Amino acid sequence: MATEGTAAPAGAPPAQASDQAATVPPNAPTTSTTEPTQLTGAQLKAKAKAEKAARRAKVKEVKEAVAAAQPAPADAKGGKGKGKDGSQTLGPQGQGKAGLAHRPSMNGRRPSILIVEKDIRSSIPECFSHLPMAKRIHPSHAHKDVHPAVLTVGQQMATFAIKDSIARLEATLLAFRKVIESYETPKGNSLSRHFVPHVLNPQIEYLTECRPMCFSMGNAIRLLKTKVNSFDIDTPEDEATEGLLEMIDLFINERITLAEFVIARNAAKQIQEGDVVLTYGSHRLVEKTLLRAKNNGQSFSVSIIDDPYDRGGQVMATALREVGIRVFYSPNLGGLKTNVERATNVLLGAEAIFANGSLHAAAGTADIAVAATAASKKVVALCETINFDRERVSVDALTYNEIDPEQNSAESFRLLYDTTRDHYITGVITEFETGTGNSPAQAILALLRKQEDPALN
Amino acid sequence: MAPSQTIYAPSMDKLVKSLKGQTLETSIEAFIHLLKRRQVKGDECADATAHILRQVVAKSKWNDVDQLLSKVQAVGTRLARAAPHEPVIGNIVRRVMGLIRDEASEDRNADDLGSEAASDIQSLATAIAPHTQAAPPQRPGPIPFRPPPLTSVASFHVAKPKSMFNLLSVAETAESSITAASTPLSQAAPTSVHALRSEVLDGIEEIMDEISQADDQIAGFADVQICPGDYVLAYLPSRTVERFLVKAAAKRKFTVFLVSLEDPYTTTGEASHAALRKKLSSSGVKTISIASNGLMAYMTRISKVIFGAKIVYQNGGLLVDSGASVAAQAAKAHSKPVIALGGVYKFCPEDPSDEIAGEAGDSSTYVSYADGLKVDALEVENTVADYVPPELVDLYLTNLGPQTRHHLAAIMADHYKAEDVGYSFLSNE
Repeated sequence: MATEGTAAPAGAPPAQASDQAATVPPNAPTTSTTEPTQLTGAQLKAKAKAEKAARRAKVKEVKEAVAAAQPAPADAKGGKGKGKDGSQTLGPQGQGKAGLAHRPSMNGRRPSILIVEKDIRSSIPECFSHLPMAKRIHPSHAHKDVHPAVLTVGQQMATFAIKDSIARLEATLLAFRKVIESYETPKGNSLSRHFVPHVLNPQIEYLTECRPMCFSMGNAIRLLKTKVNSFDIDTPEDEATEGLLEMIDLFINERITLAEFVIARNAAKQIQEGDVVLTYGSHRLVEKTLLRAKNNGQSFSVSIIDDPYDRGGQVMATALREVGIRVFYSPNLGGLKTNVERATNVLLGAEAIFANGSLHAAAGTADIAVAATAASKKVVALCETINFDRERVSVDALTYNEIDPEQNSAESFRLLYDTTRDHYITGVITEFETGTGNSPAQAILALLRKQEDPALN
Repeated sequence: MAPSQTIYAPSMDKLVKSLKGQTLETSIEAFIHLLKRRQVKGDECADATAHILRQVVAKSKWNDVDQLLSKVQAVGTRLARAAPHEPVIGNIVRRVMGLIRDEASEDRNADDLGSEAASDIQSLATAIAPHTQAAPPQRPGPIPFRPPPLTSVASFHVAKPKSMFNLLSVAETAESSITAASTPLSQAAPTSVHALRSEVLDGIEEIMDEISQADDQIAGFADVQICPGDYVLAYLPSRTVERFLVKAAAKRKFTVFLVSLEDPYTTTGEASHAALRKKLSSSGVKTISIASNGLMAYMTRISKVIFGAKIVYQNGGLLVDSGASVAAQAAKAHSKPVIALGGVYKFCPEDPSDEIAGEAGDSSTYVSYADGLKVDALEVENTVADYVPPELVDLYLTNLGPQTRHHLAAIMADHYKAEDVGYSFLSNE
């Protein structure tokens, strides 16, 4: 039940969970059908060998684990039985030594992952070879300490079923909630010492392997770890678990749900009667803002420029049209100039914001911002503060980015994000009300310092 | 010219072939149909316009320069209106009209001078020079007249006896210049009609040659503009750009970022780029195909941006394939040079038109019209042509060499007559 248990509260429709169950098995066939075209004979052989090794390792592992639990078959089915499942998978590693005993068998599986990875990455041009790319890991290849809930979330991230930063954060937190719920401190250990290195870290490693972590996940995990470390060594386990669960709930409420509401409210105030709001692709905050403004009784029209490789804008356009907003839809950046000239202001959804005020957003956002600035239009970015990064700085899009695994072949190459420098942005709207709720991008660091980790207190 | 006309070759070849067999009116109509169905585009448009205008000069009846001019203008207007999205048609018509005016005024000057010997020699030279140029059948184009068999009387009449008439008419003009020194052009015309006709035809041939050779001449500047180690972003490489890159690849080692705004779900455009990629990689040039909408992300890596211009307006602005302005703008934001390639025949002595730049294309590739909800919901705007303002272009690379914005006016003045510049093929009447 772990699959549906995580997906439903994550705000994802239940259909996604069943989608997930359906998409995971076909993963293997699709990779095997696409790869042979790029593989040489020798590589094929190596791959076949690796697969064989993996199969053997799996069999071996099942045999080993049979006494304690049956993680592999349970994973393959997507997990049935709530509490039982958790205790089963955590059982062996709770015994400490049994967890270590599994390490060698896992090493046996590793090479197969590496070979597959090499093949996929071989088509990446050299000048982009430093950038990470999401990767589908078959559930049977995952570390056996990975909780089924996390396993599911990892799959959803790798397949881009859960895409944007906040959805990923929420899914991760809910999965971690399950991990914490099913956690039992082994004898002679305390939660504050044992939980992070032995339970949480394997989950994080797995998620990172599926798809590079987004900034919000990094921030949340950092806060979570600080919270764990803050517990005294003598803190009773129940109390500590309770504290962690409470923190996660508070976190989701404050930094995600409330933030979304406040940002939409603040941003909606900026939309005037008769405005033509230009936006790029689809972003949850932008959509919420526009719906909210419509709800406030404003009449305005929206011009959506879509990314032809994503087409999320079509979905948003349909949703906006349903409430009676006039929508102009451009399937690509072709008529950018005309669109920008018609617009009165530009509303951009951000994936993250760097410490220097640069916007990390869907590829193409920067082009919109540049065109809008050239036409002297107001460019407003919407972003929750959890997406702010206080350490990393980016002045170009090739410092931090991600390669689109769907568009990675000899025929095509695509980056998922681009970086919009702060001078192309008029303002950023966050959930913290600084004046109008509109704080300039340069003031991000000050803002962050001001609200330093409220979740901890 | 012939080998690279892969996509539209069938219809164009058919048209060019049909020119000699058909009456003038039929071939004009045939061309207009091709234009309206957009089966002829860009460079072929220019070439086909020249072909048609040559037919007009050769086949239609005219007794003096004014009649010829108005005939050419009338046909030109019809063609230009059939394809308002191809201003290059207007360019060619203007070039031909300018040519006619030039030839006519040469005659008139000769008359005015009245110095028999000088004019005699001059006109002889002008009459013979083009003739000798035209006679050997070494021209590259598929000039339909060349194979002499008696397929069509009309073309035969134009092509072959030209040389004899030339000689005769030269003598005649010389005579007339003696007898009637100040005869007005229109009266003197009948005697020199044949001479004028053949000279104009030769001039049109020259324009056609210019069109067919422009790409190669532009490619000749490739190794100057592209340095080893460059990362060149080629936006929707046109035939001109492809040739340029291939030529550069022969001498330089660089990396090409190919960008296409193709619809990612119907990969029809890939085929042509695949050929280019193969050519480039065979000479050791790496290609990276960017499947992306926005280009800001890649621009830090790029050292120069190259795309083909459909039209160069007199203010220096460009008419380009949709999305090229995004590339130019991203390059500007990163201070990377933008090089626009285009032959001089693409220089248009007009101001940019919003209607052409915002030209809308087929949106059904992007939005499924089987989905009624979306049809209701969306006002889909898929623009296929784009305008690049002059301040975003650093260099105009033409068949006459690299030009800056400040020299465009001089080039326009060299190629178009002031009388024709003012005439708009699209608006009046």
